Amino acid sequence: MWILRLNMTDRSYKFEDVPESYAMLGGRGLTSTIIYDEVDPTCHPLGPNNKLVFAPGIVTGAASPTSARLSVGGKSPLTGGIKESNAGTSFAPAMAKMRLKAVIVEGKPEQSGEYWTVMISWEGDKPKVEFMPADEYTGKDLYEVFPQIYERFGKKIHVCGVGTAGEFGYANSGIAFNDMKKRPTRYSGRGGLGAVMGSKGLKFLLLNAEGAPGVEYADQEAFKVAAKKLQVALNEHAITKPKGGLNSYGTAVLVNILNEAGGFPTRNFRTGRFEGAAKIAGEAIFETNKKRTGKEVYNHACSPGCVIQCSNTLYSESGDEIVSCIEYESAWALGADCGIDDLDAIGELVRLCNAYGLDTIETGVSIGVAMDSGMIPFGDVKGAINLVHEMGKGTPMGRLLGGGTGMVGKALGNPRIPAVKGQGMPAYEPRAVKGIGVTYATSTMGADHTAGYTIAPEMLSVGGTSDPLASDVAKADLSRAFQMTTAFLDSTGHCLFIAFAILDIPSGFEGMVEEVNAMLGVELTNDSAVALGGEILKRERAFNEAAGLTKVDDRLPEFMKYEPLPPHNVVSDLPDEVFDKVYGEM
Amino acid sequence: MATIQVEVWLYGPLAHYGGSDDNISAQVYCDLPVGSCMQDLLDVLGMPTEERGITFVNGDLSAMPGMHPDLKHELHAGDRVAFFHMKSMWPFQYRHGVKMAEEFTESMGNREDKGLRSTFEK
Repeated sequence: MWILRLNMTDRSYKFEDVPESYAMLGGRGLTSTIIYDEVDPTCHPLGPNNKLVFAPGIVTGAASPTSARLSVGGKSPLTGGIKESNAGTSFAPAMAKMRLKAVIVEGKPEQSGEYWTVMISWEGDKPKVEFMPADEYTGKDLYEVFPQIYERFGKKIHVCGVGTAGEFGYANSGIAFNDMKKRPTRYSGRGGLGAVMGSKGLKFLLLNAEGAPGVEYADQEAFKVAAKKLQVALNEHAITKPKGGLNSYGTAVLVNILNEAGGFPTRNFRTGRFEGAAKIAGEAIFETNKKRTGKEVYNHACSPGCVIQCSNTLYSESGDEIVSCIEYESAWALGADCGIDDLDAIGELVRLCNAYGLDTIETGVSIGVAMDSGMIPFGDVKGAINLVHEMGKGTPMGRLLGGGTGMVGKALGNPRIPAVKGQGMPAYEPRAVKGIGVTYATSTMGADHTAGYTIAPEMLSVGGTSDPLASDVAKADLSRAFQMTTAFLDSTGHCLFIAFAILDIPSGFEGMVEEVNAMLGVELTNDSAVALGGEILKRERAFNEAAGLTKVDDRLPEFMKYEPLPPHNVVSDLPDEVFDKVYGEM
Repeated sequence: MATIQVEVWLYGPLAHYGGSDDNISAQVYCDLPVGSCMQDLLDVLGMPTEERGITFVNGDLSAMPGMHPDLKHELHAGDRVAFFHMKSMWPFQYRHGVKMAEEFTESMGNREDKGLRSTFEK
């Protein structure tokens, strides 16, 4: 396997052997370690000294279910700290099959405004790299450009690119990857990594894996056994099985639930319940599609080999596609958080975010703050659509909004900024869901709903001080355990949604760890796998500390301490010691 | 006989128990004798308890799929009760620290896993 370095200053490249110290790493573990090892934490995220790292997971490209995740890492222009954001896309297994352990993008063109396409294809016995001008694709809608790229480079390529948001250097820009229908809809959305890619003049990174040898297994037979364990667990579990919860209703099945719990942030986190929630929920998407298409439309896979298949598509009255996909967080950010209950309008807002290369969460939360500040009224669909256009077209107002939630609140003089470390808070109100608040506050990524997604089965019978029902302090222990296990899972290349099956069906967790062992020829136990996740977090934390983030940044927004959240009328009341304990005892 | 009125939300395929055929949601108001409990409400709706998953009373979590410790929970005038279908899901990390009904808290506390799982088969 190789590590490929792309130097965007002089458009040169270099293949390097994988250092021994990186042998056990993949996905997030590898991107974060390379950033920790090679990037000056005090550098400007959009300057020449930041790096952008792409890495498929450890088992990505192998015959394993739901494992096509690609991690992208760098110093975040949104948080000022380390960032890993991963996406499910065919790009990930293609990269693994070309035996590219990581691609590191360095430098930047001396002339600003130059954009390049880099094509990596297989030739002979190793990948071949070509740089080509990409200026003709800049300033355009990604839905328009992606077909042009496929037309020019062939249908079998895999596409990664940035939209105008990345070109403008927005802190709310994402990196777009192709989905199974070659649309620009799979995103490494969070943290502004699109701007890092754009700052390097890299408009498109393309792969053509035809002829590539595929992944190498240390023990292919053992891998098959391990992957089968995981597959069985995924197929058995009520949430992950075909026509189960995620396959039917997608992640937006959570809308009504969080709403009833009083934890569905509404109108820039003013209340925890939205009167229009049922209209924008997964159930409504499923039934609206059924009515409009005349059949039950179950969700599809975002990437090859996924058995969960949770990605939805919203169809119009005429049966045409409005957009794919409306995730829970997107339905919330561009819906309830902006006081919008029009499903088709939300679909259009998501489509525009995809077209311009914007993170739906950061964009929605930023518009929510703008609405809360009186720029336009809550519920103003046309106004919201116009603001997204302003971002995409780079008007002065759009450039301000593209700076992200914190920037918008500061510019508009609004102290109600729902963000941690500058990153807009996702769709779970931490005053009502206090456990997620601990993870939001302490994650190395800023407010991130995916940072603490799963836990090892061994930790279920935690008891004592770790009893989640017993004490606030236990929330710190649990958040740490969640974050460690998740950092490992993010390194495997598996999607977080295997968490349901690997938690509830212990053989599933074993299967995941045994896959890694069979792939790498190591002997991790469940415990040592989680410990490996802890090591990854320590590196991320050390980078952040060197970048200037301190424990004072591990806090929820102040307004949540003094504004009670209806309907439960709860405030953020966890003592600072709880937040400090998460990393203080690691 | 003195009665109370409760507001009921039924989501997804459960909506038909509230008279809606859209499979999205139904909101109904039910009159019950004073002192009625969750089981009484289910009887009025004609909904077997096995068909419901996540359940709330006034935003407090009272049941999960396969775990219904709230059948004897007394309802009061003005309560808002919400029922979810069995395909609904709610990962632990997104419900950790939410308000829970007393019976549900007790039931979770008696479990070795403290409720960290997503399914709770009997």
